[in-house]
Amino acid sequence: MRDKRIENTMRSTSRNSKLLLLGVNHATAPIAIRERLAIPTHRLADATRTLAGQPGVREALILSTCNRVELLTVQDGAQDGSEAETDAFSAGRPAPTLSMIRFLNEYLQVRATDIEPHLYEFREREAVRHLFRVASSLDSMVVGEPQILGQVKQSWTIGREVGAVKSMLDPLLQRAFSVAKKVRTETQIGNSTVSVASVAAELARKIFGSLSGKTVLLVGAGKMSDLTARHLIQQGATMLLVSNRTESRAQVIADALRTPSITTGVIPLDQLHEQAYRADIIITSTGAGQVFTPENSRTLLQRRKNRPVFFIDIAVPRDVAPAVNDLEGCFVYDIDDLQQVAIQNKAVRSREADAAESIVSREVARYSDRVLQAPATEAIKHLLLDAEVVRQHELTRITQQLSRQPLSAEQLAAVDRLTKSLTGKLLHPQIAALREIAADSESDD
Amino acid sequence: MSLLWLRLAVILYGIAALAVLPAALYNRPRWRHIALPSAMGGAFFHFVSITETLYAAHRALPIDTHETLSMLGLLLVVAFLILAVHYRTVSFGMFLLPVAVLLAIVPAFHPGHERIVYPLVRTGWLLLHIALLLAAYAALFLSLIASLLYLIQERRLKQKRTESKRGWLPPLETLDQIGLNALRFGLPCMTAGLLIGSVLALQSIGLAFFADPKVLLSIAMWIAYILMIFIRSHSGLRGRRAVYLSSFVFLVMLAVWAANSLSAVHRFKAP
Repeated sequence: MRDKRIENTMRSTSRNSKLLLLGVNHATAPIAIRERLAIPTHRLADATRTLAGQPGVREALILSTCNRVELLTVQDGAQDGSEAETDAFSAGRPAPTLSMIRFLNEYLQVRATDIEPHLYEFREREAVRHLFRVASSLDSMVVGEPQILGQVKQSWTIGREVGAVKSMLDPLLQRAFSVAKKVRTETQIGNSTVSVASVAAELARKIFGSLSGKTVLLVGAGKMSDLTARHLIQQGATMLLVSNRTESRAQVIADALRTPSITTGVIPLDQLHEQAYRADIIITSTGAGQVFTPENSRTLLQRRKNRPVFFIDIAVPRDVAPAVNDLEGCFVYDIDDLQQVAIQNKAVRSREADAAESIVSREVARYSDRVLQAPATEAIKHLLLDAEVVRQHELTRITQQLSRQPLSAEQLAAVDRLTKSLTGKLLHPQIAALREIAADSESDD
Repeated sequence: MSLLWLRLAVILYGIAALAVLPAALYNRPRWRHIALPSAMGGAFFHFVSITETLYAAHRALPIDTHETLSMLGLLLVVAFLILAVHYRTVSFGMFLLPVAVLLAIVPAFHPGHERIVYPLVRTGWLLLHIALLLAAYAALFLSLIASLLYLIQERRLKQKRTESKRGWLPPLETLDQIGLNALRFGLPCMTAGLLIGSVLALQSIGLAFFADPKVLLSIAMWIAYILMIFIRSHSGLRGRRAVYLSSFVFLVMLAVWAANSLSAVHRFKAP
């Protein structure tokens, strides 16, 4: 009877909850597929609720970003292994997987045959690993980018609100957040920028610290210079001056970048050298060649009382003479320099990603051990409790039998120790067997 | 007991000085969490030790060289902690903390036994004179380090060696601000310290005081200090030339310090 109960405990806790993750991401699916599967934030709650209502799904979470759509579910173990229905897209997939593909098909009106070639599927321990990697930004297109953690947290919040994230997914996600935090604090994975515009902003911060109150001068017009200026404004620059051969075009750019917190202005190109001293950061992209020479840059520095000036030269041929970089207080970075820094930073991220992968592996093992050993621990607890009840019962019986010649306190303590030791030794093989079963079930998964 | 606290402070400074290296060079927050509390704990025990020593000697100021050096060490650690909190940088610890260890280690393990004979040492004004001048020295040292770090950071940026892993230096403008603010803090301290010292010496020694080599060098240092602030503020002097200027004033400061052996006024202790 007791063995049956222990067996049931093992079975109910280990076999009836199956973690399954199904999804597509930037590496497996083209944008044409991802955009059809993307679920906008305002529909996420409804989608999560619908997914959680699918047959066999106990808990559910949907992560939908521009680079990935993933469905994380806790499936009813009874469904696992059941035969797939004969269907055009079944292809021998187990029922839980098919159920999720069907959800995508029905909810998003995307044909299953369109999705299936791009899908990846992770179960149990591998699903945990994938989730930890996603939250830690190791699976992102730009490894180390910080937005993904916020997006996972948003999905988690919505999942909790609609009651789809419960006793199993909730601790798993909280663990994922702490793993992501650990990766961020123990590695440098998120500390280096990898795009040209963000590298320029990062360099500006190394010169000026905070960009708050700094003035940016845009000389010439171009996509890259526009993007860099926007990046600097995002980082806190508060004034933007634009100088262009066509003044009306300069005005258009200035108007486009003006916000309530940004003051913009136009400098006629013929007054550029008289006015350039006002700028802390000068982005040039005219391609006219040698707009800034050591001579005019020296004058500019004098007018700035030697306060540093940062030239971001995106033009080819270069607008800023390389010799300007030799002047004390002038820092010149051309497009090659910026790209070089971006490449260096990517290498740093890649090195740090290895360290981050080790942290994730360690944490996956720790989490899996805890979760997968839980049924065994529960069963062992039952076993020990039952044994203790029997021991206490036998002790009471023997004490009553000896009531005419009661045992002394030392004798009672010795009997207590003896019975404890006997119980422990007798139960040891069973406890070891239970642990072995748990370990076997883990390796099977 | 005060020696025990001082030794404990030296050990904590040592831990902080070691922990600050990975914290600053490799931007490891875990080491930062060791360096800052250690430095803070060290400063606390150092303060307790100095207070106990001075209280036991029935005076309120450090007189022998060891005590003075030890107090300068404490001021440097306090400067490091202020920078860490205000500018969120521990880079200065790489320079300030080892110097603080060196300044405190001698009084901790080989304390002096000089007996104080000079009557003025019991006045609060003299305490102020010494404390203000020590603060000015610490500020000057800090300014010199800031200028050196500025130079390193400037070279790194010019040579385009900007790998983030070694991005341990604060931004150029922050370094410039730290250097200039340290000088601006040091100037009133030095001015007030010298004025108080001069008045006290005039009262007890008379005009002969102005013939003392240390006094003359101190006045030269004060003028150099003012010139340095003026040049830096008005011409925006930075980089290499700022380092030269700071180094020059620092050398004058060392000369002033060393002039104790030549000074008749600054020998307060009996042999």
